[in-house]
Amino acid sequence: MDKWICTVCGYVYDPSIGDPTSGIDPGTPFEDLPDDWVCPECGAPKDMFEKVA
Amino acid sequence: MGGDLKPREIRPGISWMGAIDWDRRLFDELIPLPDGTSYNAYLVRGSEKTALIDTADPTKREEILGQLDGVERLDVLIVLHVEQDHSGSVPLVLDRYPEIEIVSSPKAVPMIADHLGIPEGRITAVEDGETLSLGDRTLEFIHAPWVHWPETMLAYLREEKILFTCDLFGSHLATNDLFAFDRPRVCEAAKRYFAEIMMPFSNLIEGHLEKLEPYEITMICPSHGPIHDDPDFIVDAYRHWVLDPPKNLVVLPYTSMHGSTARMVDHLIGALTERDVRVEPFNMSVTDLGAYAVRLVDAATVVFATPTVLVGPHPHIVSTAYLTAALRPKLKHAAIVGSYGWAGKAAERLRGLCSTLKVDWLDPVFTKGLPKEETFEALDALADGIAARHEGLESQ
Repeated sequence: MDKWICTVCGYVYDPSIGDPTSGIDPGTPFEDLPDDWVCPECGAPKDMFEKVA
Repeated sequence: MGGDLKPREIRPGISWMGAIDWDRRLFDELIPLPDGTSYNAYLVRGSEKTALIDTADPTKREEILGQLDGVERLDVLIVLHVEQDHSGSVPLVLDRYPEIEIVSSPKAVPMIADHLGIPEGRITAVEDGETLSLGDRTLEFIHAPWVHWPETMLAYLREEKILFTCDLFGSHLATNDLFAFDRPRVCEAAKRYFAEIMMPFSNLIEGHLEKLEPYEITMICPSHGPIHDDPDFIVDAYRHWVLDPPKNLVVLPYTSMHGSTARMVDHLIGALTERDVRVEPFNMSVTDLGAYAVRLVDAATVVFATPTVLVGPHPHIVSTAYLTAALRPKLKHAAIVGSYGWAGKAAERLRGLCSTLKVDWLDPVFTKGLPKEETFEALDALADGIAARHEGLESQ
């Protein structure tokens, strides 16, 4: 599964970790995150993320 | 004061340029520079083209423009990073050499326009892995975003196997040592630099270190501090800082107004010491932020100690907590201790500031007025909790 990076603050969403602060379980692909999910570091919306090459 | 420094040859046809800022003591109006800093640019002459890699802080424009007096033809200006301490003299170089080609990563193009007022159309974007021939020399560009802005890239001189890294692997160290042979001094300065600038992006640096593994590197030329003519020294240090598990170390930033919190800090230091837990207190009224940040590279636990000011935590500790969370250290555990006069919400408010820290919080310990027997017992219990969690962690 791909990691995605926040273009605002550099936070990396790692699907193997998920986002426990927002109740996102490990193993959740970025694509399956809810539309209203935001960067846990800076609050940027999903469309501000890019796939990590 | 800068010193009349001429270009210094690193290898035939490759020279250091730039300026040593001996007197600078603050960066970003935030980061203390106890040892000053330098702004390194590099001139690479090929059989067909001559390239300049980065420039210098605009406060040092006279130095770098003076050094360019002997360079009649400059064909390419490579901007590895758009922050002004490296790119700030780009417009002046452009004035001097109006035909020069400006090269940067695609992400840097609009940033150069925004920060330096140079039209986007004037800049050539290079992709990851793209090369630029200078005739008998070839530069390969390696995209390495987020060290420490989104647009950063590295340049690799294939023939000499020299890697130009801009801020990555740098150190705020004013010295006329061209090379990093004073290892203890450079290591300390580079670790401080890592803590202040690079640590928030540790997980990305891990990827960059992997990406660099296939490259044979004989020399690393950063934009601050001396050149690494033994690249393994700095690359291995970065590997440790990024990958090592946290150590048996508690950082204890504190402020005290009338002595109650200081008394608690003293007790906690004693209790942790009895339990063989390394602890470093930092009085945040007088502490150099960099000295605190550098210990965050290794610490497993932070304990904030604060008195109560107008219901909330002391502003020095508010600032410390904010920075601690922003630097994204490896911390695993955290606690808040302190005191209040008649009522207070210091612990809740402080914890709210650190919501992005991925730590488990131990129970806070607060006292109304002077610490009492039960306060010291609670601090002993906190020390027990920390010691249990630190079991098995290496001390160094």
